[in-house]
Amino acid sequence: MNEEAVTNREAREALAKDYEWGFSSDIEQEFAPKGLSEDTVRFISAKKGEPEWMLEWRLKAYRAWLEMEEVDWAKLTIPKIDYQDAYYYAAPKPKPKLGSLDEVDPEILRVYEKLGIPIEEQKVLAGVEGARKVAVDAVFDSVSVATTFREELKAAGVIFLSISEAIREYPDLVRKYLGSVVPQRDNYFACLNSAVFSDGTFVYVPEGVRCPMELSTYFRINAENTGQFERTLIVADKGAYVSYLEGCTAPMRDENQLHAAVVEIFAHEDAEVKYSTVQNWYPGDAEGKGGIFNFVTKRALCNGARSKVSWTQVETGSAITWKYPSCILKGEDSVGEFYSVALTNNYQQADTGTKMIHIGAGSRSTIVSKGISAGKSNNTYRGLVRVLPGAENVRNFTQCDSLLLGSDCGAHTVPYIEVKNPTATIEHEATTSKISEDQLFYSMARGLDQEAAVALIVNGFAREVLKQLPMEFAVEAQKLLGISLEGSVG
Amino acid sequence: MTALPTRKLEAFRYADIDALASVWTSLAAPERVEIAAQQRLQQIWLPSGDEVDVRRVEMVLEAGAVARIFALNSASRYGRFELDVTMHEEADFAFYGANIGGGDSTLEIVTTLRHVAPGATSHQTIRSVLGDKATGSFLGRIEVAREGQQTDAEQSVKAMLLDRGATANAKPELEIFADDVKCAHGATVGELDKNQLFYAAARGMDPVSARALLLEGFVSGLWDEIEGDDQGIAALARDALRKVAA
Amino acid sequence: MLKIENLHATVAGKPILNGLTLTVPTGEIHAIMGPNGAGKSTLAYVLGGRPGYEVTEGSVTFDGQDLFALEPHERAAAGMFLGFQYPVEIPGVSYLQFLREALNSQRRAKGEKDLSGGEFIRLSKDKAALLGMDPEMLKRPVNVGFSGGEKKRAEMVQLGIMDPKIAILDETDSGLDIDALKAVGAGINSIMRSPEKSVLLITHYQRLLDYVTPDKVHVLSRGQIVRSGGPELAHELEREGYAEAAA
Repeated sequence: MNEEAVTNREAREALAKDYEWGFSSDIEQEFAPKGLSEDTVRFISAKKGEPEWMLEWRLKAYRAWLEMEEVDWAKLTIPKIDYQDAYYYAAPKPKPKLGSLDEVDPEILRVYEKLGIPIEEQKVLAGVEGARKVAVDAVFDSVSVATTFREELKAAGVIFLSISEAIREYPDLVRKYLGSVVPQRDNYFACLNSAVFSDGTFVYVPEGVRCPMELSTYFRINAENTGQFERTLIVADKGAYVSYLEGCTAPMRDENQLHAAVVEIFAHEDAEVKYSTVQNWYPGDAEGKGGIFNFVTKRALCNGARSKVSWTQVETGSAITWKYPSCILKGEDSVGEFYSVALTNNYQQADTGTKMIHIGAGSRSTIVSKGISAGKSNNTYRGLVRVLPGAENVRNFTQCDSLLLGSDCGAHTVPYIEVKNPTATIEHEATTSKISEDQLFYSMARGLDQEAAVALIVNGFAREVLKQLPMEFAVEAQKLLGISLEGSVG
Repeated sequence: MTALPTRKLEAFRYADIDALASVWTSLAAPERVEIAAQQRLQQIWLPSGDEVDVRRVEMVLEAGAVARIFALNSASRYGRFELDVTMHEEADFAFYGANIGGGDSTLEIVTTLRHVAPGATSHQTIRSVLGDKATGSFLGRIEVAREGQQTDAEQSVKAMLLDRGATANAKPELEIFADDVKCAHGATVGELDKNQLFYAAARGMDPVSARALLLEGFVSGLWDEIEGDDQGIAALARDALRKVAA
Repeated sequence: MLKIENLHATVAGKPILNGLTLTVPTGEIHAIMGPNGAGKSTLAYVLGGRPGYEVTEGSVTFDGQDLFALEPHERAAAGMFLGFQYPVEIPGVSYLQFLREALNSQRRAKGEKDLSGGEFIRLSKDKAALLGMDPEMLKRPVNVGFSGGEKKRAEMVQLGIMDPKIAILDETDSGLDIDALKAVGAGINSIMRSPEKSVLLITHYQRLLDYVTPDKVHVLSRGQIVRSGGPELAHELEREGYAEAAA
């Protein structure tokens, strides 16, 4: 790893430490009683010390949720989720206290090594007792690094906080934008999230400001509250720019069955937001047991003229994934982009895609989706490109490619194209392919073993998407693809 | 008789349910066509002339069978062509269809192609021209089973809208369980090329004739492969285009 | 035949023609030459009435009529032929179909009867032969798969079929080899050299003028005519370049 990368990592680690101390510790009860009721919602709001308006907002969502019907239309086989059989609030959950790395699941250690994560950081990730303290003191100079990071943002006027903090410190801002892109009743899981969201990120970039660094949530994954109902709100004011990274390549063991997050992005005139996700949820074992259900509503409102939002995602490993990052292209000449690599292996299922809704004249959208299926998995792209009657001169280009590894998996595309304006130009292409014998043989003849050859070819297949990622993430993503493919060939 | 479908049913998401209701009870069961091994079949589907024109066909192509269907969907109120095709080993299927409509007609072509055995080929070319407040839709599902290795399935879908108020919908769907296949589809929605329009005008063509001619070119390739008498489908398509372009 | 007075025109808001004045009398062949960016094609498109080209000032009289009062197809019916530098392709529409439709549109506008299919085929065969083009090529879709030379030759066949009063030919010689150039030159001479017709040749290079001798040559620079002269002006430009001659 180069020096800069180490510094960023240090900064993030340090912030995590800092952040963690931010939690109040005078909690009487550690858990809300099991199940979900109005009391649960009140409990959560009280625990976070939220103002009255915030509690009312949550309650409104909860009552709406009771009347909604759960979705089951995707090509997923979702076991019935018992919403009463879960804890909706847990105090920061301590990681299992392991004495040393020797007690960590060797599979996980192997992955850490492959990803090139230094030993000290491995300890932190795996939850070895005492590790955090050691890591911070010995390796990182936490205070000074953290201060530099925070100061730079402050000088630029960028607000970057947990959403709980933001509700307390910038209530007007949060209130103005929360739910403005994903209304409570938008869908079943967004509604649930609105009622019981635990934490998340709030970002506000003021007019004309180019956020001086990439904002990352890496630290929050290390924080002990793994947040199954995260709520993120990013607002870019006129002419602002921000690049936001979400995710972690190291697999995190997590007993939370259900993750229902909401991400809202609001872009004013001439603003640009780049949102990148590299996600490797613990996929369950090779038999498909123990994985995570990941339902996310991600939406951007390109409200101002010439605003632009790009979604870039590399997804592997979720047991069941259901997410459709979308753009509502309201502003004239606004731009929406979606770049995705979704890799499924073993018994994983993915149903992902995007929605581009063209409302503003001259709006443009680009969709590049690369699905890679291996093992006995199923990988579906589901997309919608819609042009409203008043949207003149819209342009869309969509490219959906599927790569099948082996003959036991499935690759599916379900695109919807709905155009109501005669001046629109919409182009959609889809291809399906496999790795050819020739490609494999050529690579192996040059000295690569079969797994490395497959990884190389898959990365080539995904290149157009990977190159959209901030550099550091791109490197991690490439490694991740390779690792996730293990066992898929042969 | 099954219940009248609602728009919640995928296959009817763009349908004119009221119009469908007017003929639902009198609809015959889908016509079943079986093409024996190595046999050839060509069908030309002309519009019935009724304002509501619903046509449902189930086709099975045995090993090596060849089928070609040429269809013109231009009913004045609601036209729905439904086709379900099962292809066995090395079968060869091609469908060439046009949705041409104006007023507030709803036209849809709904196909399901099942590649259940190795080596079958399918090819679909759809061209839609919609004016006024018409809606033209193509829902084309291609299913390739695990046994469908060496499938070659192709879809080319193009739509043109002439007026604001018209709608074009396309759902070119792929469900693929075999890895050694060629499945490519392309769908575009656009308008008449401005350069072509100016070229025609510069050569003296008035705007109505120019539009009609260029639209004809857009659709004309569909009928090229017809063997023998085309039963008037090309002329009917031309008339429908002229009406819509006016 | 054609009288252009103080013509100003913009393209995408940018002024390209800045007060162009030019008269082409009936029976004469004029050439306009100029460096790239001078506004040559813009002039052709403005005269043809292409969308996206806006006239901000000035007037053009064609055969006694106010040209800008006519739609593009009306200008063709009135006897104007615009030869394109880059003729567009039209898949799915055969040349025969296209030209017959166009010609009949023009005839209808003049109150004349349509030509029958047979009559038109005969006409097009004649004109194709005149220009050394295989008539079979007219059965192909408009310009699809045509080489640069074939496209220009086809434009000439169209010229023969339409038989206009004025031909405005925009860089008709660009991309042609010697044979094609000869054929195009011969075509222009045989179809358009007449006391009742005029030609406005827009060209960058002087070569075509070896085959089609102009009565007058004009130099177009930055949207205006900066110099006019006899055919020898073309040779001078060839020798000295545009910058010199326009000075």
